[in-house]
Amino acid sequence: MPRKRLLLLLFVVIALGVMTYQSNRPPFLPLKFLTGALNVFYGAKESVQEFISSPFRRMFLREEENIRLKTELSQLRREQQAWQEAFRENEKLRAVLALKAQAQHYVTAARVAARGTDQWSNTFILDKGMNEGIKKDMVAVTDKGLVGKIAEVTTSFAYLLLVTDINFSAAARLQDSRTEGVLSGTGFRTCQLKYIPYDEDVKQGAVIVTSGLDSLFPAGIPLGYISKVSKKESGIFQYIEVVPFVNNANTEIVAIVRRS
Amino acid sequence: MKYLLWAVITFVAFGMQGSISLLDITPNFTVILACFAGIREGEGKGLLLGSLIGIIEDSLSGNLLGPHLLSKGLTGYFSAFLYSKIFVWTPLLGILTAVVFTMAESFAVYTARSFFGTMPSGFGAAVFVIAMQSLFNAPLGIFLRKKSE
Repeated sequence: MPRKRLLLLLFVVIALGVMTYQSNRPPFLPLKFLTGALNVFYGAKESVQEFISSPFRRMFLREEENIRLKTELSQLRREQQAWQEAFRENEKLRAVLALKAQAQHYVTAARVAARGTDQWSNTFILDKGMNEGIKKDMVAVTDKGLVGKIAEVTTSFAYLLLVTDINFSAAARLQDSRTEGVLSGTGFRTCQLKYIPYDEDVKQGAVIVTSGLDSLFPAGIPLGYISKVSKKESGIFQYIEVVPFVNNANTEIVAIVRRS
Repeated sequence: MKYLLWAVITFVAFGMQGSISLLDITPNFTVILACFAGIREGEGKGLLLGSLIGIIEDSLSGNLLGPHLLSKGLTGYFSAFLYSKIFVWTPLLGILTAVVFTMAESFAVYTARSFFGTMPSGFGAAVFVIAMQSLFNAPLGIFLRKKSE
């Protein structure tokens, strides 16, 4: 057998061996420390982005001033564009402030710095960590509902496990009928409401909220709405698909809340 | 110097992968990097560089060590093997290589995760994600060639 093929075979055997060894043990991650460096990269990227964009923003405002002197209509349009982003951000911050007023156990608000590097893990990296009082298992919410829970914290960053992740579960109930179940992520966009009895009358569009029975999430946080109900010919439970209220694709700021 | 450049490019690729998302799907730039390593450096070094990229990706994902290690290593090896077998390399072949290797690599990671850990998502969703990642990577296939060509 040629040397390269032998090397390939050896590599495949070692890789499979490593995975088999870890299948019933905690994962062995030798280069985990690199996440710190990557987080510094994300921080630096944000600073550079801000550094580059701010002079352009100022230039744009000056140009806007000149245009305003030329034509009032053109000024109005450009001004609208320039402040639209600030207006949207303001709206989001107001929503977080409102949440702060409502939530008794508010800890802090954090910005989404990046997504997890791996498509198969639905995680966010938040720009705040232990220094701001964030701890493992704290809950992240927006004005729309539950975003996820803190899976890991470093001094300046936190890893947020999203409701759509396959490893996420929360005790939930149907808001109207009060029937209890467990909401789990499916790994991509939707969630599944488990353990709802076969005989229970469940309608599409019904709202799901946290029940608080898992002692992890405060009760009453909106989770999502039912998009699909499927009953097999026989069985104990129904298959219920849930679309989360919070869209991961446009979440920018989250509020961190303590359990109790 | 060459390996320092590889390290920087790998680091930037991971940084970009974490910063960009299209249709809620994270792109898979690192597989192109593994392909590139195989084509430029040959089978042995392709395997080594690919598995190094894979170890880093596994560690950053916080999950099982091995799926990316295996798939990226094999990508590095087989891209070099494929390249050596083709007489005239064209940009279209590069695009096809990028698509095929992205599909194979993502599918290998999905299978390994499902087999040795938890199934990361439903099969239908996985097919959609893998197809979209291949589509994102397709244009990058143009750059898959040796320095001299």
